Amino acid sequence: MKPCPYCGNNNMEGVLFCDECGQPLVGRSGQTTSQLVQQQTHSLRGRATWGTARFDLASSIVIHVRDHLEPISLVPKQEMLIGRTDTQSDFTPDLDMTPYGAAEYGVSRQHAIIKRGEDTLTLTDLGSTNGTHLNGQRLIPRQPRVLRDGDEIRLGRLVFHIFFK
Amino acid sequence: MDTPRNLYAILGIPPEATQSDIREAYRVAARRFHPDANDHEGADILFRDIATAYEILGDSKQRMDYDIARAKFKDEPNYFTLRVTPSKRVLNTLDEPQVMYLLLEIVPLRQGHKKERHDARVNLTLVLDRSTSMKGPRLDKVKIAAHQIIDQLAPEDVLSIVSFSDRADVLIPASAVTNKLEFRSMVNMMRADGGTEIFHGLAAGVEQCRRYLGPKMVNHVILLTDGRTFGDEEQCLQLADETADMGISISAMGIGEEWNDAFLDALASRTGGTSTYINSPSAVVRFLNDRVRSLGDTFAERLSLAIAPDADVMMESTFKLHPSPQPISVRPQPIPIGSLEYNRPVSVLLQLQMPSSTSPGFRTVARLDVTGDILMADRMGYKVLSDISVEISDNPPPEEPPIAILDALGKLTLYRMQQRAEESIEKGNVAEATRRLENLATRLLAAGEDDLAHMAAAEARRVANTNMLSEEGRKTLKFGTRMLLALPESTEGET
Repeated sequence: MKPCPYCGNNNMEGVLFCDECGQPLVGRSGQTTSQLVQQQTHSLRGRATWGTARFDLASSIVIHVRDHLEPISLVPKQEMLIGRTDTQSDFTPDLDMTPYGAAEYGVSRQHAIIKRGEDTLTLTDLGSTNGTHLNGQRLIPRQPRVLRDGDEIRLGRLVFHIFFK
Repeated sequence: MDTPRNLYAILGIPPEATQSDIREAYRVAARRFHPDANDHEGADILFRDIATAYEILGDSKQRMDYDIARAKFKDEPNYFTLRVTPSKRVLNTLDEPQVMYLLLEIVPLRQGHKKERHDARVNLTLVLDRSTSMKGPRLDKVKIAAHQIIDQLAPEDVLSIVSFSDRADVLIPASAVTNKLEFRSMVNMMRADGGTEIFHGLAAGVEQCRRYLGPKMVNHVILLTDGRTFGDEEQCLQLADETADMGISISAMGIGEEWNDAFLDALASRTGGTSTYINSPSAVVRFLNDRVRSLGDTFAERLSLAIAPDADVMMESTFKLHPSPQPISVRPQPIPIGSLEYNRPVSVLLQLQMPSSTSPGFRTVARLDVTGDILMADRMGYKVLSDISVEISDNPPPEEPPIAILDALGKLTLYRMQQRAEESIEKGNVAEATRRLENLATRLLAAGEDDLAHMAAAEARRVANTNMLSEEGRKTLKFGTRMLLALPESTEGET
């Protein structure tokens, strides 16, 4: 339970607007305001976004793997295979998650693929053993999904965030 | 039986899965959704699909036949996709329950120019109130609106018009819209007389609509009334359920202050339609025309949503936000949610309650399933599902909830505050109702909705003095706050 700072009503954890007085309990106040408004200007009406889906020729991506300070910066090729190294067949994917504990987190050798579209990037699960999740939503194998700036991707139990630059 | 498109997705496995993968996937799914383990209504529905998938894929011979049969879907586009945004991607470990929101967007396949689209064929029935109270400007505007609708429809469309008071008359029996002149003159014959008995009118209307009932059409009934019906509301709701099963949706429009909004809301929601408050006769023409125009823009029809939370997750509420805001009932499932228009996602906000959780890790939350008929491709029963998980952590990274959820919930909160004020009045708690209306006025003012804010403040004073709301104030606040959800992004907090 969390008391509302305006009216004192006890709201359940996770409630975003006070049940009693309707005041927002997170964001849209103090420092966060300008940041939110900035996001708002390029968020499309009615779309749920952490950021834009627009990814053009000049864009690059930055990947932050959970619990690792050093981000990965790269310009994606037309197709970028994500997975882990297979020492037996000497196979290495374009984006190798081996250094990030891929094997113990259940990442497949050929887990998922990021493809460039016209103005977008898509993520497709390649039928991985432990699945790919995009912002908590499990991807249906081989069905591409558009990526957005700030999306959370989970391969097995390995979590990373993708940002557009 | 039709070949299901993707049994593999139902079990969450790739097509090359081995028999032991399939058994394991079934075991995991059954543990989540088997009726013995999960008593949510939606789980029962989704488990039937899981059982079918296992029955077929778990048998090598049937699986082989299925693999051949499903090849016909190889090049099928994703007619619509589900995008689900959670209010939080990582939840804190907590020894008490917590609320989580999911924004579900049903996004239609992107279509290019208007020229490339087909207008959906419409099978429309108008059920028009002609009781004595409609006399004068109300009935005049209804006639104008009906004329414009006749003009708007194409010869391939089907129209029927029923007028009712305490009895129903079929003004225009269901027929192709070829002789517009004759249709118009039939409309002109409507005379105001008698009381309001909705059931007769609605039953006659549904009877007309079902004559041309077609899976490739948008089958829709629009009920327009200015009065309260007595003694037959339950019958009407029962009829609405049957109507939904036939694939017909009902929109309800109320003019003036007399009609029963809770009843019309229920009537529309049960069929996936919308309910609207029309406060002046002149607005009738616009509302009716807009409704009919959007029917022609239908891309997928008879959408239904099944929600299966995990056994320990509670479903608190659902609200359809776009394209027309409408409260929807979680039961019975699957929930009819109407039509999907070209290039206009349907969005639904779900409020769930997660159980207390003290161990970090990943866990599943719910499975959602949307089924609909794709009109332009003659593809019936197109089905998409989505499995939602969340991470539980002792130390979640700081994260603002997504703007789309904040925006929708900020507006939905106003609607809920108005409802809670009404609940206080029903309980006879005047002090609480007054305070809630004053709070609502404050929040409406902050949102830049000055007119509604003044209305809320005036109603707060009225409640303090007379213990009740005015009908006009009540309806204006209810539908006014609801309509905010349909408006463009507010500029709150921009300074």
